[in-house]
Amino acid sequence: MLKQFARWLFLSLLLLAPTTFAQTEPIVIDFYYPTAVEGPITEAMQRYADDFMAANPGIVINPIYSGSYTQTRETILTEINADAVIVDVAVMLATDLYSFIENAPIVPVQDFIDPLENAEDYTADFFPAMLANSQDMEGVIWSLPFQRSTPLLYYNADLLREAGYEEAPQNNEELIEIAQALTTEDRAGFLLPVAGAFPIWLYQSFAAAYGQPLVDADPTQVYFNTPESLAAIEFMTKIGLSQAEGGFGVGPLGGSAWGDTPAAFTSGAAAMIYHTSGSLTQILKDAEFEVGVSFLPSGPAGDDGTGYGAPMGGGNLYLFNDGSKSEAELAAMWAWVMYLTSPEVQADWGALSGYIAVRQSAWELDPLKTLTEETPQYAIPRDQMAVAVKEFDAYRSIDIQNIINPALSRILSTDAPLSEAPAILEEAQAQIDALLAEYR
Amino acid sequence: MNGRRFTTALTVIFAALWLAPLFFSILMSFRPEAEPISIGNIFFGSQITLENYQTVLTIAPWGLHYLNSVIFVVGVLIVQLFTVTLAGYAFARMQFPGRDFLLLIVLLQIMIPAAVLLVPNFATIRDLDLFNTHWALMLPYWGSAFGVLLIRQTFRGIPYELEEAARIDGATLFQVLRHVYIPLSIPAYLSFALVSISSHWNEFLWPFIITRSDEVRPLTVALNQLYQTSETGAQYSQLMAGTILVIAPLVVLFALFQRRFIESFASSGLK
Amino acid sequence: MLSHRLWTRLTPYLLIAPTLLLVLVFTLLPATRTLYDSLYQPARRAIEPSVFIGLQNYADLFDLTHYLGGRFLPILQNTVIFVFVSLVVAVPLALGFALLLNRQIRALGFWRFSLIYPMLLPLIGAASIWAFLYSDSIGLINTVIRSLGGQGQNWLGNPNLVLGSVIVVNIWKQAGYYSLFYLAGLQNISRDIYEAADLDGANAGQKLLWITVPLLRRTTLFIVVIAITFGFQTVEQLAALGLGNPADRSNLLLWFIFQNISERRNWGYVNAMTVILVSILLLFTVANFLIFERRGVEDERA
Repeated sequence: MLKQFARWLFLSLLLLAPTTFAQTEPIVIDFYYPTAVEGPITEAMQRYADDFMAANPGIVINPIYSGSYTQTRETILTEINADAVIVDVAVMLATDLYSFIENAPIVPVQDFIDPLENAEDYTADFFPAMLANSQDMEGVIWSLPFQRSTPLLYYNADLLREAGYEEAPQNNEELIEIAQALTTEDRAGFLLPVAGAFPIWLYQSFAAAYGQPLVDADPTQVYFNTPESLAAIEFMTKIGLSQAEGGFGVGPLGGSAWGDTPAAFTSGAAAMIYHTSGSLTQILKDAEFEVGVSFLPSGPAGDDGTGYGAPMGGGNLYLFNDGSKSEAELAAMWAWVMYLTSPEVQADWGALSGYIAVRQSAWELDPLKTLTEETPQYAIPRDQMAVAVKEFDAYRSIDIQNIINPALSRILSTDAPLSEAPAILEEAQAQIDALLAEYR
Repeated sequence: MNGRRFTTALTVIFAALWLAPLFFSILMSFRPEAEPISIGNIFFGSQITLENYQTVLTIAPWGLHYLNSVIFVVGVLIVQLFTVTLAGYAFARMQFPGRDFLLLIVLLQIMIPAAVLLVPNFATIRDLDLFNTHWALMLPYWGSAFGVLLIRQTFRGIPYELEEAARIDGATLFQVLRHVYIPLSIPAYLSFALVSISSHWNEFLWPFIITRSDEVRPLTVALNQLYQTSETGAQYSQLMAGTILVIAPLVVLFALFQRRFIESFASSGLK
Repeated sequence: MLSHRLWTRLTPYLLIAPTLLLVLVFTLLPATRTLYDSLYQPARRAIEPSVFIGLQNYADLFDLTHYLGGRFLPILQNTVIFVFVSLVVAVPLALGFALLLNRQIRALGFWRFSLIYPMLLPLIGAASIWAFLYSDSIGLINTVIRSLGGQGQNWLGNPNLVLGSVIVVNIWKQAGYYSLFYLAGLQNISRDIYEAADLDGANAGQKLLWITVPLLRRTTLFIVVIAITFGFQTVEQLAALGLGNPADRSNLLLWFIFQNISERRNWGYVNAMTVILVSILLLFTVANFLIFERRGVEDERA
């Protein structure tokens, strides 16, 4: 009895000791978050940090605004290469996985998930389409989804109705038909925002809809010179070509600029657009007509319903350890990541930022639940998760994007005629294969 | 007379062309959010609103960032004035072995893009234990090849006889600088100050990489948030409101500074 | 006495010491490292040592089938066009501005402000203003053109227009800045010279060509050096003006270098491109000094 009491006392002292130690010497977590959408992001991050700290004395969260995704990556790489890793937890692109596996000391979150009691249920609550970019070929989860998005078709329901269309276009043929019916002197029937920086994102939706996604689970394979790619690119180019030139004549040559497209839509200069789900809040706020939102129309592979091709996009949470971190620090980092991906925080974050809440159970909680009930458009991106595909990622992903984007841009802007497209794709594929050869 | 009218017309035309972007960006900052220029009156839109400024003001502690920018800019300029004067004089008026080579070394500073030196300079600042401080912001800018080149070029345009006369009267090097070279180079110093202040006020990359907290970060880092909306696209009206908040102090200062500027130019027209 | 002489000899070095030390620590030493690293290829994993490959990085950049080489030369060409078109337009414009502003006219401060203020704007801010002017669907320029019945242009999307659009922004931002130095330079030209020319019956054009331009030669040299060195490094505007698209038609060398910093495996190329960039700038600067300064020395003696 006495012995047991002594042991109990000893154990509780042992447990107490680190706690008191931690109170005097708190664990500080430097958390880098980039912004890619407008809104009170900084405020929200500070609020989450404050709530977390109140519940977890001994841990200090230091939210640090780190610019754009690119700027964040550069900051982290600078720290790594100067041998001074400051970052503990960061939100970075989901597609940075293989770049980080090669270049940065990231820790797979799988190490922290495995000891959880309900590990399988925990993982299953994340949308599988979102996890596609988190997992390597062995299925190990490296990062957790945090702020994710997907492209949607936005349409001016009033205009469609006037022209006799009650529903959104379901496939590419209907898309063009309706777009042509709605194109006027000063209105584009359909804007495809591929003129700016990253035509690759929307290109992926067409490639998948034509039957050959740009990537699969293997990070050493990229499929860019396939007949499906060519058909997809031809279709995309024709959107901007006039009917006299053999195109559909429904939008500007070369596509519209990404950033201007929502404003063109809400001001009535375009009847339909493709844009990210992240723009939904702004578009609903600005438009003075009924805004329709639907899945991206399906492509030719879609006769059996598989021709949908929306890629995922957005940022995940990564944990960094340059080898100097104690168990307690790692545990604190994981606790913070768990908190940010909890259904409660995700329900708040999704409603506030316009990103798609990453936990399925988050959609049953307020404020997200009420929002979806009042504004059913918010449910569309969630439902599109069922048909969404993995976003482009591979080894040398940045280099490969820098090969694919200019190649696409040359064809789409008609800097090179469509007849040269096969040669351009071949050349790009050869460069991609040369880069990936050492990884195969 | 005809020529005079012609040059006046030219002045008005160019001024109008050059002012138009600023003029429209100011108007844009008072337009309702996301309202394209094609809606409503081309100048004033459908209505005038302060909403953009209200939104922008909530994204960061602007007062703190203003203070940091002022500390950064003034701290850099003061030290630069000393370093460029001394080096500018040496390169302009002294003969010494290795002069041209050393000048070329200094000029390398304006030829090498700072972006490729971020990693080693980050490491240096960490080694000096200055990371995330105001000192880290300023230190690399204390030497200015641009300023050395400008001051050297200006000093060389000053007649050497003036220095000789002062030397005969027993003036030391510093007295010569103070009483001969500096007073005669005020327009160049003003030009340099304007360039130095505006370029550091607008500097982004280095402050961004070397700081992590609002207590040190200058305005540009806060403004960056408005530009980084790559996913949803730029909100021009907010962007303009933010840009105007950041440039306003410089623009107002410059507008006030005009008179002083002109006076100094007039008084230094020595011969 | 001897120590005094030693002191005199040391003086110039002491005067340049602060500047030199800062340049050494924050530019020269890191830059030497860049030169050294341009001969290496980073290993597949960050912890493994880089491999010495001699001049292979440079060879790859000039190899058109290489994934970076195919883009490097066209981008270099864009950059040279960007710098020289900007220079050839902006420098004479700057002289023009300085002459316009160097007269006794009403509201001089206002005119001066109007032409010079663009230099005060952050480059990215100035570029965003222009992005709004240039925007295809909602931009000011196209709105005006369309309201006048014309057809709008895709200023940043059309591969044949985009570089010109970017150059216009640069000229707009730099001309007033350069005119500042001309204004300062004009103060050093004596009125007597013009009066003498008046007596000889010279007209305004002759005075400009035979007096003002030659006497401002040193200022022009300074501006040209600055315009070239800064021109090669003026790229931040691309962040708001199309990011080098479409198809690299507006891409500039330093922006291309930025684009590749994000990939550690490309650092050999990043360093090699930096070395090439700095070599070009050195070449121009040294050539400028040789041509202008030597002549300047002779003039001073004459």
